[in-house]
Amino acid sequence: MTANLAPIVMLASEGGSPELIKVDTLPALTAIVVFLVAFAFLAIFVWPKIVKGLDDRNNKILGEIRAAEAAQAKAKAAQAEFEKRLEEARAEADRTVRAARAEAERQAEELRATAAKELEDMKNRATQELEGAKRAAISEIHAMAAGLATTVAGKILKREIQPGDQKRLVEESLSELSSR
Amino acid sequence: MNFLLASGDNPLGHVVDKPMYGVKAPESWSAWRFTQDAGVPVSCAVIIFSGLLVCFLLWRAAKAIQTGPDSHGTERFIAKGRLGQFVEAIVVGLRDQMLVPVMGEAQTRRYLPFLLSLFFFLLVVNLFGLLPFADIQHMLAHNFVKGGAEEFILFGGTATANLMVTGGLAAICFAVIQIHSFRELGFGGWLEHLCGGSDLVRGPKGLYLVIPVIFVVEFLGMFIKPIALAIRLFANMVGGHTLMATLLMFGMMAAKGGLATWAVGTISVASGTFALIILFLEVFVAFLQAFIFMFLTAVFISTMSHHDEEHGEDHHEAHGHATAEAHH
Repeated sequence: MTANLAPIVMLASEGGSPELIKVDTLPALTAIVVFLVAFAFLAIFVWPKIVKGLDDRNNKILGEIRAAEAAQAKAKAAQAEFEKRLEEARAEADRTVRAARAEAERQAEELRATAAKELEDMKNRATQELEGAKRAAISEIHAMAAGLATTVAGKILKREIQPGDQKRLVEESLSELSSR
Repeated sequence: MNFLLASGDNPLGHVVDKPMYGVKAPESWSAWRFTQDAGVPVSCAVIIFSGLLVCFLLWRAAKAIQTGPDSHGTERFIAKGRLGQFVEAIVVGLRDQMLVPVMGEAQTRRYLPFLLSLFFFLLVVNLFGLLPFADIQHMLAHNFVKGGAEEFILFGGTATANLMVTGGLAAICFAVIQIHSFRELGFGGWLEHLCGGSDLVRGPKGLYLVIPVIFVVEFLGMFIKPIALAIRLFANMVGGHTLMATLLMFGMMAAKGGLATWAVGTISVASGTFALIILFLEVFVAFLQAFIFMFLTAVFISTMSHHDEEHGEDHHEAHGHATAEAHH
């Protein structure tokens, strides 16, 4: 094994102290030429593809983010619009309910007033009718009383009383009765 | 692994760049290479291979990340496969968390290809250095190739452990920073920036004495910043690998020192365990150093920009932090 490794030892130690910095422009020129050629190749065939690929993906991601933000803004606007309309609908419903309630109260009041008026009218009519009936009854009673009195008086006086007398007597009696 | 990677007397021998076996550069190259060494460093092969590898891997990742056909629905936006998801996570993280706060949206988009290419290129080179290709080749060639090569390496090692390589990459960053500053500020604005900015140039006349000092500091800083980038990456790569090689060397040193077998085994297991822990740390360092190199380049680019455009308070705060980190 050691014999096999001998060349490596020689490789490392050959020539005493190795020259760490050696002026030789050949490696420098090789590095310059090779790098410039490699750079030209990469600049033409490699970096445009990579940069475009990264830009495409970046734009895609940005586009997706912007679309998502737009969709979110749209959804928020739609939600705000919905809530606004819901609020308006609630307010409209409240107004409608209030108006219906007011109308119902107004109609109830009207019905109440109408009923009360009709009741009052009926009462008045009944009162008038009662009064009329009372007067008629009284007149009838007066008439009957007058006829009866006349009959009784005629019998007493034995004298026939004419219809004109009878009528006059009735009116006098009535006026006396009224004055009492 | 301990024995496989065991180094000899000097752990740096495992870390430094070596010439490719049997590959020689023409002698006429030595003039502009500033060296008489005709060998071609193995880091050149690693860089070429890493360049091809990073192109292939990122091309595969791009196919996985790109938007699919409409028939795939939402799935077409999802990266397919682990490689695609890994690259995507890194790209998105670096872009959104690191670069945009420092550079702003427009400049990040403009410089993203350059900065990410730099990051992934460095990452692949750094990670590649953690694979023991050089040692395996050398051992196999010595033991199985007829005649036995003394130093057979065609490929392997950490290219970013060579200051010339990191210097070359830093030179590109320097050029990009300067081109950006001239394009962004114009010559007058660039000069004004070197003189401390408009607040100082158009400020109280008593401060004019400070301007030459600031100019010298800023002018030197213009070169020191990329040099610091190069040295930081180089030093971190060399440091980590040297530490790992040192730990792995203990077992071989014990064997060479004639210690008992049980002692050599104990030392080897202990040092190998520590080396394994350091290896995980090195994986992290490979990512971290690639990131720092790229991020500081981004910071240096952004410091040479108009600061009244699209940069808000957040940018200035991030800028302050980044600059503070850069100075550390």
